[in-house]
Order: sequence, then C-alpha cells, then structure tokens
Amino acid sequence: MAKEFLISLLHYFVDITTAVLIAAAVFLTASGQQIESVILWQILLAGFITALPTAVLLCFDPKSVRISMALWVTHFMLIFAITVIMLKMFGWCRITPLSVLLTFLAVVFIYFFTCFVHYLVDRKHTALMNQQLKKRYIQKEKLLKAEQQSEHKSS
Amino acid sequence: MKIIIEPPKNAEEDVVIIRCASPDPQLISMLLSFQTAKTDLTGYIDDRIVRLNYQDVCYFEANENRVFAYCNSEVYEIKYKLYELEEMYTPLDFVRCSKSMIVNMEKIDFLSPLFSGKLEANLKNGEKIIISRQYVHNLKSKLGMQEGE
Repeated sequence: MAKEFLISLLHYFVDITTAVLIAAAVFLTASGQQIESVILWQILLAGFITALPTAVLLCFDPKSVRISMALWVTHFMLIFAITVIMLKMFGWCRITPLSVLLTFLAVVFIYFFTCFVHYLVDRKHTALMNQQLKKRYIQKEKLLKAEQQSEHKSS
Repeated sequence: MKIIIEPPKNAEEDVVIIRCASPDPQLISMLLSFQTAKTDLTGYIDDRIVRLNYQDVCYFEANENRVFAYCNSEVYEIKYKLYELEEMYTPLDFVRCSKSMIVNMEKIDFLSPLFSGKLEANLKNGEKIIISRQYVHNLKSKLGMQEGE
C-alpha cells in the first residue's frame, strides 16, 4: 500500500511539475518577465505539494458516484487554494481578481493535462492487460479442446 | 511451459505431475492452494437455498455488511465475509478489484481506462464494474504481468 502510494505520488509529481512548467513558460513568454533561477525550485515544491493531496485522493475508494464527485470537487478546490497561497507566498504575482482568474484557468489546464496523461498511460496498460486476457482465453480454449478430445478417445 | 492433459489409465485417481528442472515456488503454492481451496458455495435467494458453482459467479460484492454473489442473471446472498471469499477464491480465478468487490477474471470481457484514474471491467454479461487503482496490481500479477510493465 505504501509502495503504491509512493509510486502514485512520484507519477503525479512528475506530471504536475511538467504541466506547471508549461503553464509558467506560456505565462512568462506572454508577459515578457525575466525570472530568477529560484523559481525552478519553487515549481518543484509546488509540484510536490499539489501531488500530495492527489495521491491521497486516490487512496479513497468510494462506492457511490456522489461521494466520488464530492471528493474530486474538494480536491480541485484544495489544489486551487494551495496554488493561490503559493502564488502569494512566492510572490509570483499580486493577488488581483485577474491573477486569481488566470490561476484558476492554469489549475484547470494542469488538472486536465495530468488526468489526460494518466488516461493515456492507463490506456496503454489496459491494452496490454486485454492482450493477456485474450491469451488466457485462447489457452483455456485449447486446454478444453484437448480435454474433450482425450475424453472422446478414451470413450 | 508446455501443459499436457491426459486421461488417467483405468480407474486411477487424477494426478498432477510437474516435470521441471527446478520447481517454481509460485507454481507449487498455486497447486497447494488449489488442492486446499474450498469451492462449494451456498447462495440464498428469497426463501430458497441454492448450491452455487463458483465458476458461474461474475463477482462478489459487499453491501451494508452483507455479501452478494452476482451470477449472469441472479443475485444470491452469501454467508461469508468478503475477506473469507478472497482467501477461498483468490487461488482460483478471482481477484480483489476494490474495497467491496471480488471479480471472476473468467467473466471479464475487456478492460478500459477511465478519466478518473480507475479502470472499468466490461463483463461478458454486459455489466460494468470499477477496478480501483490500488487493486490494479492484483489483476496485473494475476495476468502474469510484472510491475511497471
């Protein structure tokens, strides 16, 4: 369980950090701002802090769709709140309605980017698993046929 | 590995012979579990008591302290705890797929990913069940896939 949590945390850390880097690159290019190297460490920290609740969220296994949706909404709001706090803490920009709106859009982008990357990885894994399932069925069919043939011979 | 099935001579008892250079511990433990596995199952539906064949069960689900066996068209209550069923049937073709479910792998038609990070198992009877992320590795190892493959 702990191993899976750490693997999940690492995956989300990498994906979120990549998405934050893309968002930062777009924002900095558009605004023409010069940055200090410390921002790279801040981005890494931001990636880790936001990956943590994401990995925790996946530990929950709610049965009802309503609870599942409530968890995802809470998770999104938490990520958004953490991002706004970091925005102020690191002094990336001043807190204004426009900067909060842009942060909201950035969080939406990062959220969908991460989900999409994970979806693509899962698609690859499920394709492999489906192949294994097929192999299993073919093998079982062969065994059944062999069994039927040997029964037929013995009778 | 080659698998050969041949009928026993005359009235001999069924026997499993493993011919290999060095015995694979996983194979040995699988055979031992199979030998000791309790496969008979009693299902309760309305006022009837039914003897179930475990191979007909698509999945077991725990709901409000009761456990149910979902077959192709009927649902039976089972007087076992989910963890007991897991111990009994995991050596066979069953695998835990979420906190409240154990699925029969033979009944899975195909798997598909969901945007939420979970997997969906499309069963041969048309039903769909969710496989939680924390249990995907169970399914993978049951399919003979290594971690990270």
